[in-house]
Amino acid sequence: MRRLLSLVAVLVVVPATAAFGAELDELLERGHEASYSAEQIISCSTPDGVRDALVRIDQVGGELQLTSNATDDVEVIAGDGGWTITSDGGLVAQASVDGAESGGDEIYVVEEEGAVEYLGRVAMAYLLVRDGEPRAELTIDDETGVVVKAVTLTIDNETYCERRFVSLDTEAPVIDKNGVDGVDNPPTLVETSSLPEEVSGFDLLDQYEDESGVRFAYYSDGFFSFALFETPTAVAVPDSTPVEFESGNYRRVFTAGQVTYVWETRDSGMALVGDLPPDLHETVLAEMPHPEDPGLFRRWWRALFG
Amino acid sequence: MIHPTEQISAYLDGELHGQELTRLMDHLSRCGRCSADLEQMQFVRSAVRSLPVLELPEALIPEAEPVVVPLRRHKGMWAGVAAAAVVAAVALAAIVTPPPDEISLQQLNSMVGARSTLDPVFGPAKVSAFPVVEE
Repeated sequence: MRRLLSLVAVLVVVPATAAFGAELDELLERGHEASYSAEQIISCSTPDGVRDALVRIDQVGGELQLTSNATDDVEVIAGDGGWTITSDGGLVAQASVDGAESGGDEIYVVEEEGAVEYLGRVAMAYLLVRDGEPRAELTIDDETGVVVKAVTLTIDNETYCERRFVSLDTEAPVIDKNGVDGVDNPPTLVETSSLPEEVSGFDLLDQYEDESGVRFAYYSDGFFSFALFETPTAVAVPDSTPVEFESGNYRRVFTAGQVTYVWETRDSGMALVGDLPPDLHETVLAEMPHPEDPGLFRRWWRALFG
Repeated sequence: MIHPTEQISAYLDGELHGQELTRLMDHLSRCGRCSADLEQMQFVRSAVRSLPVLELPEALIPEAEPVVVPLRRHKGMWAGVAAAAVVAAVALAAIVTPPPDEISLQQLNSMVGARSTLDPVFGPAKVSAFPVVEE
């Protein structure tokens, strides 16, 4: 039985510093402040098959609530420079962010493709080009600034993921946050890291560590983003696909909109989670710590004590 | 007549006391042979004790060099005890230590999804569905 995800996000008031161009930046900023309800279909054509989901989006007053047909009862609040995740009322993780920079300064060239009609409304179409390759097509509602359709592209200029609204209601919705903003444990933002500051055009923006010792670093090129996790134990990835890349063994899981690669080094478990197209993920993986067999004793020790 | 040769030897070794010593003294006073044996035995002992103590040259006794002989039996025993103690300690720690929380894919994706909401361009263009949880 599939349980619903209720994801509540209070969008942090951050200037849209993505530097895609004045007009597009203005539209995106307007979209952050818009009030609307929508149903969005996410459909991704991955090497492991099609992954799709239906997501309901409600946004008002800078607060965003997502309800998906695809996951557990998890709630997320993001805002005031931090975020928290709760599940069934219990704290799962939290962290703070001092200024959400976009990363990947000016890595994208924006091509305006003119006005189009979408859901019976006027919209503007844009093409994001990275390193000379078209990487995303955005269709933005002209009145609200909301991205009503986003198509990300493979290196072969084929559709990787498509996110498109199938309905849009600009009436202000009512958001039920279920009181999850009551979490008051201090966030843990890690200041130092041995990870590279830049990987293939992706800038290291910030990094976190939770109480269980899970560390993760967040990278972004201004549009696509990924997180690199270092975990004290191996990540459980049921129904994953074993893949070999540059003589390293990984396990891979695609979901609608994200892919996760999991592997082990001698010192920790590793995972890379991101919304990049497959070729960009592989480019990033090549610059990350490579898989190593931790050995029987280390596996045993991690299983017992973490 | 029985001559108490062993008692004479014991007497010279200082091992006769009480009635045994009295009886030997009585016998020696009446037996010339035993008195002669006693004198001869005392002479021999005195002569042996008066000999000088000789130290052999080291070259003649190479095998006599002091050798540290490992107590293999004891060392092996203690190594076994130590190994058993370590195993027992680890086993005990494994029992009393709560098993590490399993890190799920959903947890990782949730954290990434939450962090992504802070991206300036976050919005419908960045929404991802989290993994399906089957019950």
